[in-house]
Amino acid sequence: MTEGYYDYPVVRRPVWTWEVPAYFWLGGMAAGAFVTASLAQTLGSTDDRRIAADGYYVAAAALVPCAPLLIADLGRPDRFHHMLRIFKPLSPMNLGAWTLTGFTPLAFARAASHAADTGLLHGPLRALARLAPRRLVELAGSLLGLTLAGYSGVLLGATNIPLWAKSKLLGGLFMASALSSGSAAVTLQAARRGAPDATLHRLATVESAASLGEMAILTAYLMQSGKAARPLTTGRFALPFWLGAVCAGGLLPLVLHGVTRRGHGTRLQSVSTAAAVCTIAGSLVLRWSIFEAGKVSSGDQAASFELSSD
Amino acid sequence: MIDGYKRFMNLEEPLPPKKAKGFFTDTSLCIGCKACEVACKQWNQLPADGFVITGNSYDNTGHLGATTWRHVQFIEQAKANGNRQEQRWLMMSDVCKHCANAACLEACPTGALVRTEFDTVYVQQDICNGCGFCVPACPFGVIDRVPKESTFEVGTAHKCTLCYDRLKDDMTPACAKSCPTASIQFGDVEELRRRARERLGELKARGESTARLYGMPEGKEALEVGPLHAFFLLLDKPQAYNLPEVPRLPRTTMAERYGWSAAVGIGFAMVAALVFRSGRR
Repeated sequence: MTEGYYDYPVVRRPVWTWEVPAYFWLGGMAAGAFVTASLAQTLGSTDDRRIAADGYYVAAAALVPCAPLLIADLGRPDRFHHMLRIFKPLSPMNLGAWTLTGFTPLAFARAASHAADTGLLHGPLRALARLAPRRLVELAGSLLGLTLAGYSGVLLGATNIPLWAKSKLLGGLFMASALSSGSAAVTLQAARRGAPDATLHRLATVESAASLGEMAILTAYLMQSGKAARPLTTGRFALPFWLGAVCAGGLLPLVLHGVTRRGHGTRLQSVSTAAAVCTIAGSLVLRWSIFEAGKVSSGDQAASFELSSD
Repeated sequence: MIDGYKRFMNLEEPLPPKKAKGFFTDTSLCIGCKACEVACKQWNQLPADGFVITGNSYDNTGHLGATTWRHVQFIEQAKANGNRQEQRWLMMSDVCKHCANAACLEACPTGALVRTEFDTVYVQQDICNGCGFCVPACPFGVIDRVPKESTFEVGTAHKCTLCYDRLKDDMTPACAKSCPTASIQFGDVEELRRRARERLGELKARGESTARLYGMPEGKEALEVGPLHAFFLLLDKPQAYNLPEVPRLPRTTMAERYGWSAAVGIGFAMVAALVFRSGRR
C-alpha cells in the first residue's frame, strides 16, 4: 500500500463537459453510417445499395452539431480556428480537428449526390451535386470516417486519467461503438422506408457483428483496467453503465436480432427498429458514462500510483 | 515558397537556444514559509484561490492549478520507534517540472505550448484556445484551465512560466528570489544537477538514508518524460509527495492504441464487405 499526500489527487480533473461525449457519439455515428453505406454501395445488391445510401443522410445530419459542440467546449470558443493553425498529428486533438474538417464536406457532398439521385434536388443544385466523384468521395470519406470514429478513444487514452489510460483498448472500444451505432442508424432508416427483408437481415448481421465486437472489447477493457475501472463499474455511474450501455445498448439488440433471424415483414421492421434505437442510445450512454467516470477516476490517488508504478 | 508560407502564416524563426534554466528544489531546507507561493502570485498577478482551511496540516493551498504555480506541501509523519513516537515534518514546494519530454506540450493541438530558448515549457496566452487537453495529459497534475467565470485570463491554460519575463531580463524567478533558505535554487540545469548530487552526498553522509533525487537523467522517473528541469531532493519515497514513480508520457503508448482502433475498423469493414457481397447474385 503506497502512502500518498493525504487523499489529494495526483492528476488534475478534466475540465471538459457534456459537449465532448455528445460529439464523440454523433461523430462516431456519422462515421459508422458513412462507412456502412459506402461498403454497401461498393459491394451490395441493388436493394442494399438503394437502401443503405440513406446512411449518407444520417452521416450528414449527425455531423451538423459536431463542430458547434467542439467549439462550445473550448475555454475560448472565439479562437476555435487556432486548432487548424498547425498540422500536428502527434496530438490526437489536432488530428481530430483536421479529420472532422476533412470528413464533413465529403459526407455532405455524398449526401447531396444521393439527394440528386432520388430527385430531392432539382435544377442547378442537382447538376452541382452530381459533380462530386462518388467512388473517390466514398473511399476518402470512409478512411477519414474511420479515423474520426477511432481517434476519440485514443484521445482519452492519451492522458494520465487511470480509467482512460490503463487499458490501451479504449480507442478500439469507441471505434466498435461508432460502427455499431452507425450501422444501427442505417438500419433505422431502412426499416422506416420498408426495406426488403433480405436487406434488413444483412444490415442486422452487420450491426450484430459490431455489437459483438464491442462487447468483447469492453470485457477486455474492463479486465485490463482492473481496479482503475471502479469509478465506472461501481458507484454513481454503475447503473447507467451496466443497465444502459451494456444491457440495453449491447446485449438486448443482439438478442432482438437473434430472435428475428428468420422474421419478415412489419414484425421484422419493428424489431429491427427497436434494436437499432437501443444500440444508438447505448452508444451515447457508453461514451457519457466512461467520460464522466473519468473525472471521478482523476481523483483516484491509488489508481494514479498504480498507473505510474515501475 | 517556404519563405512565402512563413510570411503568410506570420511564423517567426525560433530564438537561438540559450543555456537550459531550471529549479533545484531541496526539500530538506524547506521551512514551509510559503514565501514562494506569495512571491509567485504577486509577480505573476495571479488572483487568490479563496479562503479555505483544509485541515491538512498547514497546507491550505491544496494543489497546483491555473492560478497557483507554487504549492508548499506539509507532510506529517509519525513512526513508532520502540515505545516512543517519532515525528517528522516534511515540507516541499511543488512546481511545474518543465519536463524534457513534456506531455502537455505534445498534447497541445494549437502550438500554444512551446519550448522556450531556456529549454522551459511555456503557454502562449494569445494562442491557447482552452481546449483543455493538456490538463489530463500532465502526469503531475500541474497545468489547468481557468474557469470561464474567473477574472483572470479566462478560459486558457496556465502553469508556471519559470518567470519567462524575468528570465528575458536575466533576473531570478520570483519564487527562488524570495526563498529565505535556498530550498529553491535557480540556475543552469547542468550546474544545479552537480549541486544536487553534492548535496545528496552530504545528506547521506549525515545518515539521511532515505534522501534521494527526483527528476535526474539517471532516475527512473525520467524513463518517459525525460529529465525534469525543475527537479527535487526528497526525504522519502516520491509517493509521499504525491509524485508518480514513473510519470507516464501518453505518446509512448499511442501507436498501440491507434493499432487496436484500426484493427477493429478493418475487422468490421471485412465482415460488412462479406455480408453485403453475400446478397449479390
